[in-house]
Amino acid sequence: MYAQPQPQTTGRYIDLFPYIPWLLTGGMVFALIFGALWERTMVSTNLLVNPDTAAELKPIQLKKEPIGALRIDVNASISYNQWVTYEIQVKDQQGKVLASGIKQAWAESGTWVEEGESGTWAENDLMGGLDVRANQSEPVIIAIDVLEYSDTAGKEIDKPVSFQVIVKNGVVDDRYLWTGLFGTLLLSVLALFTVSSTGKVVINKSNPDSDVVARAICGNKDRLIRVVVKVQSDEYSPSSLHIRLTVNDANGEQLYSQTHLVNVKRSKSDGKVTSGSSALTTFFVLEPRGSYGFHAEVTPDASVDRTRIIVRENARTLFPVKVVTLKSSDAQ
Amino acid sequence: MLSKLFAAAAIAIAAITLTAGFTQQAALVLRQENQDNYWPRYDTQSSGTYRSGVWVSSPLRSSYGSFRGGGPGAGK
Repeated sequence: MYAQPQPQTTGRYIDLFPYIPWLLTGGMVFALIFGALWERTMVSTNLLVNPDTAAELKPIQLKKEPIGALRIDVNASISYNQWVTYEIQVKDQQGKVLASGIKQAWAESGTWVEEGESGTWAENDLMGGLDVRANQSEPVIIAIDVLEYSDTAGKEIDKPVSFQVIVKNGVVDDRYLWTGLFGTLLLSVLALFTVSSTGKVVINKSNPDSDVVARAICGNKDRLIRVVVKVQSDEYSPSSLHIRLTVNDANGEQLYSQTHLVNVKRSKSDGKVTSGSSALTTFFVLEPRGSYGFHAEVTPDASVDRTRIIVRENARTLFPVKVVTLKSSDAQ
Repeated sequence: MLSKLFAAAAIAIAAITLTAGFTQQAALVLRQENQDNYWPRYDTQSSGTYRSGVWVSSPLRSSYGSFRGGGPGAGK
């Protein structure tokens, strides 16, 4: 009888790289909050604009700033089944247009009938926006010009249009920040999943039975060995199985033999179990480097269809894990 | 290790999007001819281009009734 080696919990094989994308994701959230706090509202007003006569806001000072831009947000108020094309203009003090953007806004509603059912629908697209950045500080005048205002039939409407205009300074473009947030978040999740498959696969053997035996040259000091046993079982799968994992050295001497209880994940269809799958993950450090044999045996074996063993060398972990250190007697 | 690659890619994405967002690369830059980075918000299309530092209305803008002409020499 030999002394059963005790597992020791260690964090020395933790891979820190998957945590970097998470830190950056947190940074992007912080950047979004910081960006939203940075902007300053300069003007928030309603403007009544007659067709073909641009209405102007009071002059404001456009400064060259290191962060953000001047943002002009415009929301047109029109009745349903009307179209309005308006232009947001940035002018200099002489009234010359420095920059402009056109928005084709509309609001429509109607009724629908489908398979005996009916109802009404209403949709609109009235918001317009222009972000402007300056290379020099200068006073500018923001103006709204209605270029075309008509009903859906194309008949012109000769009435003023009401606009809500909000001008902010130091506005950060959050479209980039959201892209960055989702990008880093996606990479964070991917990076988490890569950790369990880190390292070189030295054994990947499957057997259509309740046990599997394999041997490979592996191990060394400071090399983490990840042993995964996967069990596929049939419709008579119990809720749990015992997996006995044995490790032998080059001389066939048994270094480790332990029975682990694993839960079976059972797939069900119409309330009946159709199949089961279970997995066991254990970590070893094997010294010295040499030929090591692995044997996994599943009990009770009646329902077991297939047993697979995967051994990875130079494995990494996300969290501290329990590691069993085994020393072969023919080391020296 | 794949996790290193993902970490490097995440650093690149964060650096690019933070720089572009905070320096407002998508904004219209006054008096700059190259506006390739302009990214419209709410489908608001820029209605002109700079020629020698002067804003010249685009054909889209000129097609509307109220158009009175613009660009260099306008109002002379």
